[in-house]
Amino acid sequence: MQLFYILALPLLLMLVPVFIKNNRVIGIINAVGYFSLLLPALTLARNLASGGSGISFFNFFYVDSLSAFFILTTAVVGFASSLYSIDYIAKETAHGVISGKKAKIYYALFNLFLFSMFFALTVNNLGMLWAAIEMTTLASAFLVGFYNTGESVEAAWKYIIICSVGIAIALFGTILFYYALSGSGTNSLNWTDMAMAAKKLDPRVLKIAFLFILVGYGTKAGVAPMHTWLPDAHSQALTPISALLSAVLLKTALYAILRFAIIVNKCAGEQYCGNLFIFFGLLSLGISAGFVILQKDIKRLLAYSSIEHIGVVLVGFGISGVLGIYGALMHVFNHAAAKSLMFFCAGNILKNYKTTNMNVIRGLGKVLPFTGVVAILGAFALSGSPPFSLFISEIMILAAAFSKGSYIVCALFIIFLSVAFAAIVYNLSRVVFGKKPEGMVVEGEALSTKLAFVFLFVLICVLGVKIPAFFNDILTAAGKVVSGA
Amino acid sequence: MQIDIFLFGMLIANFLMVAAKRISALINGFCLQALLLFLATLILAIRSKNIELYIVAFLLFLLKVVLVPYFLRRIVKRIKVEENLGLFVNSALSLFLVLIFTYMAYLFASTFMPVGESVNGISCVISLSVMMTGVFMMISRIKALTQIIGLLVIENGLFVFAAAVSGGMPFIVEIAIFFDVFVCVIILGIFVYRINRLFTHIDVNKLRNLKG
Repeated sequence: MQLFYILALPLLLMLVPVFIKNNRVIGIINAVGYFSLLLPALTLARNLASGGSGISFFNFFYVDSLSAFFILTTAVVGFASSLYSIDYIAKETAHGVISGKKAKIYYALFNLFLFSMFFALTVNNLGMLWAAIEMTTLASAFLVGFYNTGESVEAAWKYIIICSVGIAIALFGTILFYYALSGSGTNSLNWTDMAMAAKKLDPRVLKIAFLFILVGYGTKAGVAPMHTWLPDAHSQALTPISALLSAVLLKTALYAILRFAIIVNKCAGEQYCGNLFIFFGLLSLGISAGFVILQKDIKRLLAYSSIEHIGVVLVGFGISGVLGIYGALMHVFNHAAAKSLMFFCAGNILKNYKTTNMNVIRGLGKVLPFTGVVAILGAFALSGSPPFSLFISEIMILAAAFSKGSYIVCALFIIFLSVAFAAIVYNLSRVVFGKKPEGMVVEGEALSTKLAFVFLFVLICVLGVKIPAFFNDILTAAGKVVSGA
Repeated sequence: MQIDIFLFGMLIANFLMVAAKRISALINGFCLQALLLFLATLILAIRSKNIELYIVAFLLFLLKVVLVPYFLRRIVKRIKVEENLGLFVNSALSLFLVLIFTYMAYLFASTFMPVGESVNGISCVISLSVMMTGVFMMISRIKALTQIIGLLVIENGLFVFAAAVSGGMPFIVEIAIFFDVFVCVIILGIFVYRINRLFTHIDVNKLRNLKG
């Protein structure tokens, strides 16, 4: 039942802008809607965590603990982002940056974007999964090119072209999976059928197919070296959308990769996917560490940090074992919360300073004390220092790697993370401290914006101190799906 | 047997497209390829008397033979862009490369697919070659419109590939893919207009404001 509520709500909210004129009211209705989504998403995840196997409807939808966990993450970020949108869009409209009509289009596309992600997380059919992920690109393309400037249109163009080609490669992989299954006598693209027949499939075909899947969906997930669209799109999109792109869109593509990896693991052993994950994970970590140092633009810095965290998650899944998978899944959630928080900070900075160049921005702590405090704490959280939750999940992955004896992986992991840590904390502290620029008009922070900040900040703090029992159950259950137990 | 003739036709359309130096010739080449794909699907539908295949064939005709080429031609007319495609790789070398792609497709198919048993060898090779040509066109031509057509060519290849190895995707998936491709082309078309308005050209090699 919760499942239908989760899918229907974004569609209903899409209609709101048709009937209501004031875009602040639309924003509030939107946020209330996503608030009401949190409880069903949590209930769904908890029920599945305690109830064992997944639920399936008409053989079309299939939700197990893994998808429920990703739905929960999406719902959390969706709520935070809708809360942040209220004031962001209202101010943009008031300043005449975007017209009232465009604000309405924004809310419609925002909901379409979230719907396509929820849809991708709930379908059983791998072909429909592909179509849903392509839909996420199409729904968000206009949100990336929203300001209609040269840069944003260029970013949007690259975004659609690169992701569409990537995803075409993933479709090729999907067809190969289909071919492997039809060879064993069943003609179906349903994930459940494939997982059931996994042992009978031809491992040689699956291995080749998985390469295409990893490169294809990996493009969308921002895995290096296919990440080239990501910094452009993340930095040019509207800030609430940057948060959604980075926090959940990448994770939806990752979810797709995991679904295929589960099948391959059952058929060809864990080693194959694990090694690929570790290779691409470390590559992402290394490349992003290099670019993070060089960044001058705060939104691009955060974008490269997303690539870094995708790398962390991939290494976690690659190490596998109970602890590695648990850590990787928890990191998915933690990164989603921390990264959207930081993007919201960057949005407030952009609003007040009218620039994202970190060489110019100084004295954020004096200009916007609330944002300043959150930004510096968030920078520490994002780069994985205690007592925040990202530290816990990163240390879990590291411990898993260590106990497995992958010392080289451990060493590289630590080196790249420390580089990113230094770069992020250094840059953000320069932004937060220092003198307030003279003659600056401060816009201040709205209550809804502060609420969004507090909501996300509490999440990364609480999970850093203690993992609540119910959340532990959800993660464990999702981990069991990934490891195929 | 007849289907194979149409598939070879698709390969020829491939060569026509990479040899094209003007946008209109490229669109004509694409139109021809889509038409041949439609005819192949139609014959398959008539043979198997499958209603779903008839619908797929009809949609294919409507989208790729009628609507998309019409839409692309309209863009060309409206933005008054110069006809020249701008080739990074000249026609002769492009043709040669596509020939190599076809051979690579043959190698891939004969290594990984048990050609002859359950898989139709010719359509498998041709579909892989079409896909690679699509990717090649996207990266070796300057005008943004070529990237749209390249994407569509890749999709043509995927369609044939799915039909070759597994008798086509499930009906509902096929419809969803058509829908996505159509929306994708519309959105890309709109962005071509915007790029033309903002930059007064549609040369992708000049889109390099965002770096690092």
